Amino acid sequence: MSFVKKIIKPVEVLVVASKTGRVTIKYPFEEPWISPEFRGKIEIDPTKCIGCGACVNACPPNALEMIESEDKKTLRYFVGRCIFCWRCIDVCPVGAIKGTRNFELATNDPLDLYDYIVHNRVKCRECGKVTGETTRMLKYVLEKAFVTENYNNKCPDCRKKIFINAISMRRTGPVGEKT
Amino acid sequence: MEKKLERIKRSIWVFHLNTGSCNACDIEILDALTPYHDAERFGVKLVGSPRHADVLLLTGPITLESLPKVINAIEATPRPRFIIALGSCGSGGGIWHDTYSTIGGVNSLVKILKERGVEVDGVYYVPGCPIRPEALLYAVALIRGLVEKKAKSMVATVE
Ligand code: SF4
Ligand code: SF4
Ligand code: SF4
Repeated sequence: MSFVKKIIKPVEVLVVASKTGRVTIKYPFEEPWISPEFRGKIEIDPTKCIGCGACVNACPPNALEMIESEDKKTLRYFVGRCIFCWRCIDVCPVGAIKGTRNFELATNDPLDLYDYIVHNRVKCRECGKVTGETTRMLKYVLEKAFVTENYNNKCPDCRKKIFINAISMRRTGPVGEKT
Repeated sequence: MEKKLERIKRSIWVFHLNTGSCNACDIEILDALTPYHDAERFGVKLVGSPRHADVLLLTGPITLESLPKVINAIEATPRPRFIIALGSCGSGGGIWHDTYSTIGGVNSLVKILKERGVEVDGVYYVPGCPIRPEALLYAVALIRGLVEKKAKSMVATVE
């Protein structure tokens, strides 16, 4: 009995296999099947990004980093560390980040894994010192919220000086003047 | 690197080296070997010892505990030896890149290996968390020269 089964078994398998047909996908020689929910690499639109750093705060593995130098602020995206959670997309105030379904990111050169967006930092109109914001961010804030002409585009030190000056002018006249 | 790759004329035999990953990437490696994705189309064969392997499939951010064993395994692999760093853990440290108990990805590993005089002929990076099985197939096809490299760095300067 068992001998007969042994002979019949391969035949049974052949029958099943011919019914099922070929299951192996042809990838990479055909388009891969990707579900609509799949999250892949993000793309930052450099024409929209204002360099606010909200995405940097939200990113769990610090794949997005803000590198600050003397007069530049660079947003660096390291895809090799990204976990594709798309939290950055949710927090970006201007919608500069777009999620893609791209997963074909393999490379032999680590430099291919980095994206950079270089922003300029604004200079204080009063003393010329470089402040924290980027030029685009200042523009964005001024469009959203009204700031008196007196205070915008100035470093915190100068702003403080102007504020104290203004108060003292109103109450007792200019600072340093005896009345 | 291409020259050294040419020396692997035969199929790529891989050794699966888990260095403290969360096991999602490991499952995807097994996925890539199932009949559905069938990495064996490209000659990929999972072997049980690094001595038989050409390529080490490295998953995980390399914990301090696993570091000596990882170095042993890499030393045991015959030249030319390649590493495919899988997942965001392998290629950049992932969410564990700055914790106290990991060294944070393959780049720090290569540095440590250099200090000890252990050479690696090439490192491939496959980002993803976890990687799709297709991403692994793509990496293997890239090594075999069947597909073009698509990853490219972008540098944009804002006026
Ligand atoms: S998708 Fe997640 S991990 Fe990737 S850059 Fe955005 S916030 Fe960071
Ligand atoms: S949150 Fe958006 S606008 Fe802000 S730095 Fe990130 S990408 Fe740029
Ligand atoms: S890359 Fe993500 S899925 Fe892969 S081992 Fe690391 S945490 Fe797990």
